[in-house]
Amino acid sequence: MSHGGGNGTKDNEQLEYDASSRPGANDFGRAVSKVAVAQVCESVGFQGFKDSALDALADIAIRYLRDLGRTASVYANSSGRTECNVFDIIRGLEDLEASQGFLGGSEVKNCLAGSGTVRGIVEYVGGAEEIPFTQPVPQFPVIKHRKLIPSFVQMGETPPGKHIPPWLPALPDPHTYIHTPVWNERATDPRADKIEQARQRRKAEGSLLSLQQRLLSSGSAGPSTSRSDAKESDGAQNNPFLGLPLQPGEKDVSLVVSPSKTSDEMVGNIHVSVLEAFAPAIEAVKGGFSDDGDDGKNVLPDVRSAVQLKFRTGKKFLGESLDLSLQNKGVGRAASWVARDEERDDKKRRAEFILRQSTEYPLELNQL
Amino acid sequence: MNHNQQPGDGTHEDDAALSDFLASLMDYTPTIPDELVEHYLAKSGFQCPDVRLIRLVAVATQKFVAEVATDALQQCKARQAAVVKDKRDKQQKDKRLILTMEDLSRALREHGVNVKHQEYFADSPSTGMDPASRDE
Repeated sequence: MSHGGGNGTKDNEQLEYDASSRPGANDFGRAVSKVAVAQVCESVGFQGFKDSALDALADIAIRYLRDLGRTASVYANSSGRTECNVFDIIRGLEDLEASQGFLGGSEVKNCLAGSGTVRGIVEYVGGAEEIPFTQPVPQFPVIKHRKLIPSFVQMGETPPGKHIPPWLPALPDPHTYIHTPVWNERATDPRADKIEQARQRRKAEGSLLSLQQRLLSSGSAGPSTSRSDAKESDGAQNNPFLGLPLQPGEKDVSLVVSPSKTSDEMVGNIHVSVLEAFAPAIEAVKGGFSDDGDDGKNVLPDVRSAVQLKFRTGKKFLGESLDLSLQNKGVGRAASWVARDEERDDKKRRAEFILRQSTEYPLELNQL
Repeated sequence: MNHNQQPGDGTHEDDAALSDFLASLMDYTPTIPDELVEHYLAKSGFQCPDVRLIRLVAVATQKFVAEVATDALQQCKARQAAVVKDKRDKQQKDKRLILTMEDLSRALREHGVNVKHQEYFADSPSTGMDPASRDE
Protein backbone atom coordinates (compact mmCIF):
# COMPACT_ATOMS: atom_id res chain seq x y z
CA MET A 1 0.00 0.00 0.00
CA SER A 2 1.26 3.41 -0.79
CA HIS A 3 -0.01 6.84 0.02
CA GLY A 4 -1.90 7.83 -3.04
CA GLY A 5 -1.35 11.54 -3.25
CA GLY A 6 -0.43 11.67 0.40
CA ASN A 7 -3.74 12.96 1.66
CA GLY A 8 -5.16 11.53 4.83
CA THR A 9 -8.64 11.36 6.17
CA LYS A 10 -8.87 15.11 6.71
CA ASP A 11 -9.92 15.45 3.12
CA ASN A 12 -13.14 13.61 3.74
CA GLU A 13 -14.23 15.88 6.51
CA GLN A 14 -14.86 18.54 3.94
CA LEU A 15 -18.10 16.79 3.24
CA GLU A 16 -21.22 18.35 4.61
CA TYR A 17 -21.84 15.81 7.31
CA ASP A 18 -21.39 16.74 10.92
CA ALA A 19 -17.76 16.34 11.79
CA SER A 20 -18.37 15.49 15.40
CA SER A 21 -15.75 12.78 15.21
CA ARG A 22 -12.46 13.96 16.60
CA PRO A 23 -9.42 11.89 15.63
CA GLY A 24 -8.54 10.93 19.13
CA ALA A 25 -11.68 9.19 20.20
CA ASN A 26 -12.51 7.43 16.99
CA ASP A 27 -9.20 5.94 16.03
CA PHE A 28 -10.10 2.45 17.06
CA GLY A 29 -13.39 2.45 15.22
CA ARG A 30 -11.76 3.81 12.11
CA ALA A 31 -9.02 1.25 12.21
CA VAL A 32 -11.48 -1.60 12.57
CA SER A 33 -13.68 -0.31 9.78
CA LYS A 34 -10.63 0.11 7.57
CA VAL A 35 -9.81 -3.54 8.00
CA ALA A 36 -13.39 -4.61 7.38
CA VAL A 37 -13.70 -2.52 4.23
CA ALA A 38 -10.40 -3.87 2.98
CA GLN A 39 -11.69 -7.37 3.46
CA VAL A 40 -14.84 -6.59 1.50
CA CYS A 41 -12.86 -5.04 -1.32
CA GLU A 42 -10.58 -8.00 -1.40
CA SER A 43 -13.52 -10.31 -1.81
CA VAL A 44 -14.75 -8.16 -4.69
CA GLY A 45 -11.46 -8.61 -6.49
CA PHE A 46 -8.99 -5.92 -5.57
CA GLN A 47 -5.45 -6.99 -4.88
CA GLY A 48 -4.10 -3.79 -3.45
CA PHE A 49 -5.23 -0.49 -2.06
CA LYS A 50 -3.97 3.00 -1.99
CA ASP A 51 -3.93 4.13 1.59
CA SER A 52 -5.87 7.31 0.99
CA ALA A 53 -8.49 5.51 -1.05
CA LEU A 54 -8.97 2.92 1.64
CA ASP A 55 -9.24 5.63 4.27
CA ALA A 56 -11.86 7.40 2.22
CA LEU A 57 -13.90 4.26 1.66
CA ALA A 58 -13.75 3.32 5.31
CA ASP A 59 -14.88 6.77 6.28
CA ILE A 60 -17.76 6.57 3.83
CA ALA A 61 -18.80 3.21 5.22
CA ILE A 62 -18.88 4.68 8.69
CA ARG A 63 -20.97 7.60 7.51
CA TYR A 64 -23.34 5.25 5.77
CA LEU A 65 -23.72 3.31 8.99
CA ARG A 66 -24.40 6.41 11.00
CA ASP A 67 -26.78 7.78 8.44
CA LEU A 68 -28.75 4.58 8.42
CA GLY A 69 -28.96 4.60 12.17
CA ARG A 70 -29.96 8.20 12.30
CA THR A 71 -32.65 7.83 9.68
CA ALA A 72 -34.02 4.74 11.34
CA SER A 73 -34.16 6.44 14.73
CA VAL A 74 -35.86 9.46 13.17
CA TYR A 75 -38.53 7.22 11.72
CA ALA A 76 -38.97 5.47 15.03
CA ASN A 77 -39.31 8.75 16.86
CA SER A 78 -41.84 10.00 14.36
CA SER A 79 -43.91 6.93 15.08
CA GLY A 80 -43.79 7.62 18.76
CA ARG A 81 -41.31 4.93 19.67
CA THR A 82 -37.87 5.09 21.16
CA GLU A 83 -36.67 1.71 20.02
CA CYS A 84 -36.25 1.01 16.35
CA ASN A 85 -37.60 -2.01 14.56
CA VAL A 86 -37.00 -3.63 11.25
CA PHE A 87 -39.35 -1.38 9.35
CA ASP A 88 -37.52 1.69 10.49
CA ILE A 89 -34.37 0.20 9.09
CA ILE A 90 -36.04 -0.67 5.82
CA ARG A 91 -37.32 2.87 5.53
CA GLY A 92 -33.83 4.16 6.21
CA LEU A 93 -32.40 1.90 3.54
CA GLU A 94 -34.95 3.12 1.06
CA ASP A 95 -33.99 6.67 1.83
CA LEU A 96 -30.33 6.03 1.27
CA GLU A 97 -30.82 4.18 -1.91
CA ALA A 98 -33.39 6.52 -3.31
CA SER A 99 -30.83 8.44 -5.30
CA GLN A 100 -29.52 5.35 -6.91
CA GLY A 101 -32.85 3.67 -7.34
CA PHE A 102 -33.95 0.25 -6.34
CA LEU A 103 -36.41 -2.17 -7.63
CA GLY A 104 -39.95 -1.10 -6.89
CA GLY A 105 -38.97 2.31 -5.67
CA SER A 106 -41.70 4.15 -7.45
CA GLU A 107 -44.50 1.94 -6.24
CA VAL A 108 -46.55 2.82 -3.27
CA LYS A 109 -46.25 -0.03 -0.93
CA ASN A 110 -48.33 -0.85 2.02
CA CYS A 111 -46.06 -3.46 3.33
CA LEU A 112 -42.45 -2.68 3.72
CA ALA A 113 -41.48 -6.27 3.97
CA GLY A 114 -41.64 -6.62 0.24
CA SER A 115 -39.46 -3.62 -0.38
CA GLY A 116 -36.94 -3.78 -3.15
CA THR A 117 -34.15 -2.99 -0.78
CA VAL A 118 -34.89 -6.01 1.28
CA ARG A 119 -34.90 -8.14 -1.77
CA GLY A 120 -31.61 -6.67 -2.80
CA ILE A 121 -30.12 -7.54 0.53
CA VAL A 122 -31.54 -11.02 0.45
CA GLU A 123 -29.99 -11.53 -2.93
CA TYR A 124 -26.71 -10.22 -1.76
CA VAL A 125 -26.62 -12.46 1.26
CA GLY A 126 -27.54 -15.40 -0.89
CA GLY A 127 -24.86 -14.65 -3.43
CA ALA A 128 -21.89 -13.33 -1.48
CA GLU A 129 -19.62 -15.66 0.41
CA GLU A 130 -19.30 -15.28 4.10
CA ILE A 131 -16.19 -13.47 5.18
CA PRO A 132 -16.06 -13.01 8.92
CA PHE A 133 -13.94 -10.30 10.38
CA THR A 134 -10.36 -11.44 10.86
CA GLN A 135 -9.91 -10.68 14.51
CA PRO A 136 -12.23 -10.58 17.49
CA VAL A 137 -13.30 -7.07 18.27
CA PRO A 138 -13.83 -6.17 21.89
CA GLN A 139 -16.80 -4.24 23.07
CA PHE A 140 -15.99 -0.61 22.63
CA PRO A 141 -15.92 2.13 23.67
CA VAL A 142 -14.64 0.95 26.99
CA ILE A 143 -16.17 2.98 29.76
CA LYS A 144 -13.76 3.54 32.57
CA HIS A 145 -15.48 3.55 35.92
CA ARG A 146 -14.05 6.46 37.74
CA LYS A 147 -13.39 5.95 41.37
CA LEU A 148 -15.14 8.80 43.03
CA ILE A 149 -13.99 10.39 46.22
CA PRO A 150 -16.30 9.20 49.00
CA SER A 151 -18.50 11.79 50.59
CA PHE A 152 -18.51 12.77 54.23
CA VAL A 153 -21.45 10.52 54.88
CA GLN A 154 -19.75 7.56 53.23
CA MET A 155 -16.59 8.13 55.19
CA GLY A 156 -18.47 8.42 58.41
CA GLU A 157 -17.03 11.81 59.16
CA THR A 158 -18.71 15.02 60.10
CA PRO A 159 -17.70 17.93 57.95
CA PRO A 160 -15.61 20.52 59.76
CA GLY A 161 -18.01 23.41 59.58
CA LYS A 162 -21.70 23.78 59.35
CA HIS A 163 -21.53 25.35 55.93
CA ILE A 164 -20.35 22.11 54.36
CA PRO A 165 -23.16 19.66 53.54
CA PRO A 166 -22.36 16.03 54.30
CA TRP A 167 -23.04 14.74 50.81
CA LEU A 168 -20.01 16.53 49.39
CA PRO A 169 -16.74 14.62 48.87
CA ALA A 170 -14.68 14.32 52.00
CA LEU A 171 -11.70 16.53 52.66
CA PRO A 172 -8.30 14.92 52.13
CA ASP A 173 -6.43 13.45 55.06
CA PRO A 174 -4.12 15.89 56.79
CA HIS A 175 -1.06 13.77 56.15
CA THR A 176 -1.43 14.44 52.44
CA TYR A 177 -0.83 18.13 52.75
CA ILE A 178 0.96 18.62 56.07
CA HIS A 179 4.59 17.79 56.01
CA THR A 180 5.91 16.35 59.25
CA PRO A 181 9.59 15.61 59.16
CA VAL A 182 10.55 12.10 60.09
CA TRP A 183 13.95 11.49 61.52
CA ASN A 184 15.66 8.31 60.62
CA GLU A 185 16.26 6.75 63.99
CA ARG A 186 19.28 4.63 63.75
CA ALA A 187 21.41 3.61 66.68
CA THR A 188 24.90 4.87 65.99
CA ASP A 189 27.81 4.31 68.22
CA PRO A 190 30.53 6.69 67.07
CA ARG A 191 33.11 5.24 69.39
CA ALA A 192 32.64 1.69 68.14
CA ASP A 193 32.72 2.95 64.58
CA LYS A 194 36.01 4.69 65.17
CA ILE A 195 37.53 1.65 66.78
CA GLU A 196 36.46 -0.52 63.89
CA GLN A 197 37.80 1.98 61.41
CA ALA A 198 41.15 2.14 63.17
CA ARG A 199 41.37 -1.63 63.27
CA GLN A 200 40.75 -1.88 59.56
CA ARG A 201 43.31 0.77 58.87
CA ARG A 202 45.86 -1.11 60.90
CA LYS A 203 45.20 -4.24 58.95
CA ALA A 204 45.55 -2.37 55.71
CA GLU A 205 48.78 -0.83 56.79
CA GLY A 206 50.10 -4.15 57.95
CA SER A 207 49.56 -5.72 54.58
CA LEU A 208 50.95 -2.65 52.87
CA LEU A 209 54.03 -2.89 55.00
CA SER A 210 54.57 -6.52 54.20
CA LEU A 211 54.26 -5.76 50.53
CA GLN A 212 56.79 -3.03 50.85
CA GLN A 213 59.09 -5.40 52.65
CA ARG A 214 58.88 -7.83 49.83
CA LEU A 215 59.82 -5.00 47.53
CA LEU A 216 62.84 -4.27 49.60
CA SER A 217 63.76 -7.88 50.24
CA SER A 218 64.10 -8.63 46.58
CA GLY A 219 66.94 -6.14 46.34
CA SER A 220 67.46 -3.38 43.79
CA ALA A 221 66.63 -5.50 40.80
CA GLY A 222 62.94 -5.34 41.15
CA PRO A 223 59.92 -6.14 43.27
CA SER A 224 59.48 -9.72 42.18
CA THR A 225 60.14 -12.42 44.72
CA SER A 226 61.95 -15.71 44.39
CA ARG A 227 58.65 -17.55 44.68
CA SER A 228 57.08 -16.04 41.63
CA ASP A 229 59.58 -17.03 38.99
CA ALA A 230 57.07 -18.08 36.45
CA LYS A 231 55.22 -14.83 36.49
CA GLU A 232 58.29 -12.73 36.34
CA SER A 233 59.28 -14.13 33.00
CA ASP A 234 56.33 -12.35 31.48
CA GLY A 235 57.27 -9.12 33.11
CA ALA A 236 60.88 -9.41 32.06
CA GLN A 237 59.94 -9.16 28.43
CA ASN A 238 58.23 -5.84 28.93
CA ASN A 239 60.38 -4.09 31.45
CA PRO A 240 64.04 -4.60 32.29
CA PHE A 241 63.25 -3.76 35.87
CA LEU A 242 61.03 -6.77 36.15
CA GLY A 243 63.87 -9.19 35.69
CA LEU A 244 64.62 -12.10 37.96
CA PRO A 245 65.79 -11.03 41.35
CA LEU A 246 69.48 -10.97 41.92
CA GLN A 247 70.74 -12.61 45.02
CA PRO A 248 72.55 -10.31 47.35
CA GLY A 249 76.12 -9.94 46.31
CA GLU A 250 75.64 -11.60 42.92
CA LYS A 251 76.07 -8.52 40.91
CA ASP A 252 77.83 -5.30 41.59
CA VAL A 253 75.13 -2.78 41.50
CA SER A 254 74.89 0.54 43.11
CA LEU A 255 72.65 0.19 46.10
CA VAL A 256 71.90 3.90 46.07
CA VAL A 257 69.32 3.33 43.39
CA SER A 258 66.24 3.06 45.53
CA PRO A 259 64.11 0.18 44.48
CA SER A 260 61.02 2.09 45.56
CA LYS A 261 61.33 4.32 42.53
CA THR A 262 61.52 1.37 40.24
CA SER A 263 58.64 -0.19 42.00
CA ASP A 264 56.72 2.99 41.66
CA GLU A 265 57.44 3.19 37.98
CA MET A 266 56.63 -0.42 37.54
CA VAL A 267 53.45 -0.07 39.47
CA GLY A 268 52.52 2.96 37.44
CA ASN A 269 53.06 1.30 34.07
CA ILE A 270 52.09 -2.29 34.26
CA HIS A 271 49.44 -3.29 36.67
CA VAL A 272 48.65 -6.81 35.74
CA SER A 273 52.09 -8.17 36.21
CA VAL A 274 52.40 -6.33 39.47
CA LEU A 275 49.27 -7.95 40.75
CA GLU A 276 50.60 -11.29 39.74
CA ALA A 277 53.84 -10.48 41.41
CA PHE A 278 52.11 -9.39 44.55
CA ALA A 279 49.74 -12.32 44.71
CA PRO A 280 52.16 -14.53 46.59
CA ALA A 281 53.03 -11.56 48.70
CA ILE A 282 49.44 -11.11 49.63
CA GLU A 283 49.20 -14.73 50.52
CA ALA A 284 52.37 -14.44 52.45
CA VAL A 285 50.86 -11.68 54.52
CA LYS A 286 48.41 -14.09 55.96
CA GLY A 287 51.04 -16.67 56.51
CA GLY A 288 54.61 -16.11 57.30
CA PHE A 289 54.77 -12.62 58.54
CA SER A 290 57.82 -13.17 60.60
CA ASP A 291 59.75 -14.65 57.70
CA ASP A 292 59.38 -11.54 55.66
CA GLY A 293 60.46 -9.52 58.53
CA ASP A 294 63.65 -11.54 58.79
CA ASP A 295 64.38 -11.14 55.12
CA GLY A 296 63.72 -7.51 55.30
CA LYS A 297 66.11 -7.02 58.10
CA ASN A 298 69.04 -8.17 56.04
CA VAL A 299 68.51 -5.80 53.18
CA LEU A 300 66.93 -2.86 54.86
CA PRO A 301 70.07 -1.27 56.27
CA ASP A 302 71.28 -0.75 52.72
CA VAL A 303 68.49 1.57 51.87
CA ARG A 304 69.14 4.83 53.61
CA SER A 305 67.83 7.46 51.29
CA ALA A 306 64.52 9.11 51.92
CA VAL A 307 61.75 7.18 50.34
CA GLN A 308 59.60 9.23 48.08
CA LEU A 309 56.51 7.17 47.60
CA LYS A 310 54.24 8.14 44.80
CA PHE A 311 51.24 6.03 45.27
CA ARG A 312 49.03 7.72 42.75
CA THR A 313 48.01 4.97 40.40
CA GLY A 314 49.66 2.24 42.25
CA LYS A 315 47.93 3.02 45.43
CA LYS A 316 44.54 2.74 43.89
CA PHE A 317 45.60 -0.57 42.66
CA LEU A 318 47.21 -1.67 45.87
CA GLY A 319 44.18 -0.50 47.68
CA GLU A 320 42.09 -2.84 45.62
CA SER A 321 44.33 -5.76 46.23
CA LEU A 322 44.28 -4.98 49.88
CA ASP A 323 40.55 -4.83 49.80
CA LEU A 324 40.49 -8.23 48.26
CA SER A 325 42.62 -9.60 50.99
CA LEU A 326 40.43 -8.00 53.58
CA GLN A 327 37.30 -9.32 51.98
CA ASN A 328 38.76 -12.72 51.96
CA LYS A 329 39.06 -12.41 55.66
CA GLY A 330 35.40 -11.60 55.86
CA VAL A 331 35.62 -8.02 56.96
CA GLY A 332 32.74 -5.78 55.95
CA ARG A 333 34.02 -2.74 54.24
CA ALA A 334 30.73 -0.98 53.69
CA ALA A 335 31.40 1.86 56.04
CA SER A 336 34.83 2.61 54.74
CA TRP A 337 33.92 3.03 51.10
CA VAL A 338 32.31 6.32 51.81
CA ALA A 339 35.39 8.34 52.71
CA ARG A 340 37.77 6.47 50.49
CA ASP A 341 39.70 9.47 49.24
CA GLU A 342 40.34 10.77 52.68
CA GLU A 343 41.36 7.32 53.73
CA ARG A 344 43.80 7.15 50.90
CA ASP A 345 45.51 10.33 51.99
CA ASP A 346 45.56 9.08 55.52
CA LYS A 347 46.90 5.78 54.40
CA LYS A 348 49.54 7.46 52.37
CA ARG A 349 50.74 9.44 55.32
CA ARG A 350 50.66 6.48 57.60
CA ALA A 351 52.40 4.30 55.06
CA GLU A 352 55.20 6.78 54.72
CA PHE A 353 55.40 6.99 58.45
CA ILE A 354 55.56 3.25 58.81
CA LEU A 355 58.20 2.86 56.18
CA ARG A 356 60.28 5.55 57.73
CA GLN A 357 59.98 3.79 61.00
CA SER A 358 60.81 0.46 59.45
CA THR A 359 63.95 1.81 57.88
CA GLU A 360 65.05 3.44 61.07
CA TYR A 361 63.89 0.80 63.52
CA PRO A 362 63.98 -2.54 61.84
CA LEU A 363 63.65 -4.40 65.11
CA GLU A 364 60.23 -2.99 65.87
CA LEU A 365 58.56 -4.30 62.72
CA ASN A 366 56.77 -7.12 64.41
CA GLN A 367 55.34 -4.85 66.98
CA LEU A 368 53.12 -2.88 64.58
CA MET B 1 -41.46 -7.07 15.93
CA ASN B 2 -44.38 -4.87 14.84
CA HIS B 3 -46.26 -6.33 11.92
CA ASN B 4 -48.36 -4.23 9.59
CA GLN B 5 -51.92 -5.37 9.98
CA GLN B 6 -52.67 -5.42 6.29
CA PRO B 7 -54.90 -8.00 4.61
CA GLY B 8 -53.58 -9.99 1.70
CA ASP B 9 -51.55 -13.10 1.23
CA GLY B 10 -48.70 -11.32 -0.45
CA THR B 11 -47.92 -9.36 2.63
CA HIS B 12 -47.87 -12.43 4.77
CA GLU B 13 -45.54 -14.07 2.36
CA ASP B 14 -43.30 -11.11 2.49
CA ASP B 15 -43.47 -11.05 6.21
CA ALA B 16 -42.65 -14.67 6.40
CA ALA B 17 -39.80 -14.19 3.98
CA LEU B 18 -38.50 -11.31 6.02
CA SER B 19 -38.65 -13.17 9.27
CA ASP B 20 -36.96 -16.14 7.68
CA PHE B 21 -34.31 -13.92 6.30
CA LEU B 22 -33.68 -12.34 9.64
CA ALA B 23 -33.39 -15.75 11.19
CA SER B 24 -30.94 -16.80 8.53
CA LEU B 25 -28.88 -13.72 9.25
CA MET B 26 -27.82 -15.23 12.50
CA ASP B 27 -25.94 -17.88 10.61
CA TYR B 28 -24.30 -15.45 8.27
CA THR B 29 -21.47 -13.49 9.81
CA PRO B 30 -21.09 -10.14 8.14
CA THR B 31 -17.61 -8.84 7.49
CA ILE B 32 -18.28 -5.72 9.49
CA PRO B 33 -18.15 -6.78 13.11
CA ASP B 34 -21.16 -6.36 15.31
CA GLU B 35 -19.36 -4.29 17.91
CA LEU B 36 -18.38 -1.68 15.38
CA VAL B 37 -21.92 -1.44 14.06
CA GLU B 38 -23.33 -1.16 17.56
CA HIS B 39 -20.90 1.60 18.41
CA TYR B 40 -21.76 3.78 15.46
CA LEU B 41 -25.48 3.11 15.69
CA ALA B 42 -25.41 4.08 19.33
CA LYS B 43 -23.66 7.28 18.34
CA SER B 44 -26.47 8.17 16.01
CA GLY B 45 -29.27 7.43 18.42
CA PHE B 46 -30.29 4.04 17.20
CA GLN B 47 -31.57 1.96 20.05
CA CYS B 48 -32.37 -1.64 19.61
CA PRO B 49 -31.51 -4.65 21.71
CA ASP B 50 -32.22 -7.07 18.88
CA VAL B 51 -29.11 -8.62 17.41
CA ARG B 52 -30.81 -9.48 14.14
CA LEU B 53 -31.35 -5.85 13.35
CA ILE B 54 -27.71 -5.12 14.03
CA ARG B 55 -26.82 -7.85 11.61
CA LEU B 56 -29.23 -6.43 9.08
CA VAL B 57 -27.60 -3.04 9.24
CA ALA B 58 -24.17 -4.62 8.99
CA VAL B 59 -25.17 -6.58 5.93
CA ALA B 60 -26.71 -3.52 4.32
CA THR B 61 -23.49 -1.57 4.83
CA GLN B 62 -21.46 -4.43 3.50
CA LYS B 63 -23.62 -4.55 0.42
CA PHE B 64 -23.13 -0.83 -0.09
CA VAL B 65 -19.37 -1.10 0.20
CA ALA B 66 -19.32 -4.08 -2.12
CA GLU B 67 -21.31 -2.16 -4.72
CA VAL B 68 -18.94 0.78 -4.58
CA ALA B 69 -15.95 -1.53 -4.74
CA THR B 70 -17.36 -3.36 -7.71
CA ASP B 71 -17.91 -0.13 -9.57
CA ALA B 72 -14.37 0.98 -8.77
CA LEU B 73 -13.06 -2.36 -9.95
CA GLN B 74 -14.81 -1.95 -13.25
CA GLN B 75 -13.30 1.50 -13.62
CA CYS B 76 -9.87 0.11 -12.84
CA LYS B 77 -10.22 -2.69 -15.35
CA ALA B 78 -11.46 -0.29 -17.99
CA ARG B 79 -8.44 1.88 -17.39
CA GLN B 80 -6.10 -1.07 -17.62
CA ALA B 81 -7.70 -2.21 -20.86
CA ALA B 82 -7.17 1.26 -22.31
CA VAL B 83 -3.54 1.24 -21.31
CA VAL B 84 -2.89 -2.21 -22.60
CA LYS B 85 -4.21 -1.21 -25.96
CA ASP B 86 -1.50 1.40 -26.26
CA LYS B 87 1.47 -0.37 -24.79
CA ARG B 88 1.84 -4.07 -24.67
CA ASP B 89 4.91 -3.81 -22.45
CA LYS B 90 3.04 -2.67 -19.42
CA GLN B 91 0.66 -5.57 -19.50
CA GLN B 92 2.55 -7.52 -16.92
CA LYS B 93 3.25 -4.49 -14.78
CA ASP B 94 -0.36 -3.46 -14.37
CA LYS B 95 -1.64 -6.87 -13.55
CA ARG B 96 -2.40 -5.92 -9.98
CA LEU B 97 -5.72 -4.26 -9.39
CA ILE B 98 -5.23 -1.42 -6.98
CA LEU B 99 -7.94 0.75 -5.54
CA THR B 100 -7.08 4.35 -6.28
CA MET B 101 -8.73 7.59 -5.36
CA GLU B 102 -9.62 8.32 -8.91
CA ASP B 103 -11.55 5.12 -9.47
CA LEU B 104 -13.17 5.46 -6.10
CA SER B 105 -14.34 9.00 -6.69
CA ARG B 106 -15.83 8.00 -10.02
CA ALA B 107 -17.65 5.09 -8.48
CA LEU B 108 -18.93 7.12 -5.58
CA ARG B 109 -20.26 9.86 -7.74
CA GLU B 110 -23.03 7.62 -8.88
CA HIS B 111 -24.01 7.00 -5.31
CA GLY B 112 -24.23 10.68 -4.65
CA VAL B 113 -20.99 11.04 -2.72
CA ASN B 114 -18.66 13.73 -3.95
CA VAL B 115 -15.09 12.86 -3.15
CA LYS B 116 -12.51 15.12 -4.65
CA HIS B 117 -8.88 14.26 -4.42
CA GLN B 118 -6.45 17.09 -3.94
CA GLU B 119 -3.61 17.17 -6.38
CA TYR B 120 -0.15 17.32 -5.00
CA PHE B 121 1.67 19.22 -7.65
CA ALA B 122 0.53 21.10 -10.67
CA ASP B 123 2.14 18.59 -12.94
CA SER B 124 -0.87 17.62 -14.95
CA PRO B 125 -2.46 20.13 -17.26
CA SER B 126 -5.93 19.59 -15.86
CA THR B 127 -4.98 20.57 -12.34
CA GLY B 128 -7.16 23.22 -10.82
CA MET B 129 -9.46 23.34 -13.78
CA ASP B 130 -13.18 23.26 -13.38
CA PRO B 131 -14.53 19.75 -13.52
CA ALA B 132 -15.84 20.39 -16.99
CA SER B 133 -13.53 17.80 -18.38
CA ARG B 134 -14.65 15.47 -15.64
CA ASP B 135 -18.19 14.34 -15.05
CA GLU B 136 -20.26 16.53 -12.80
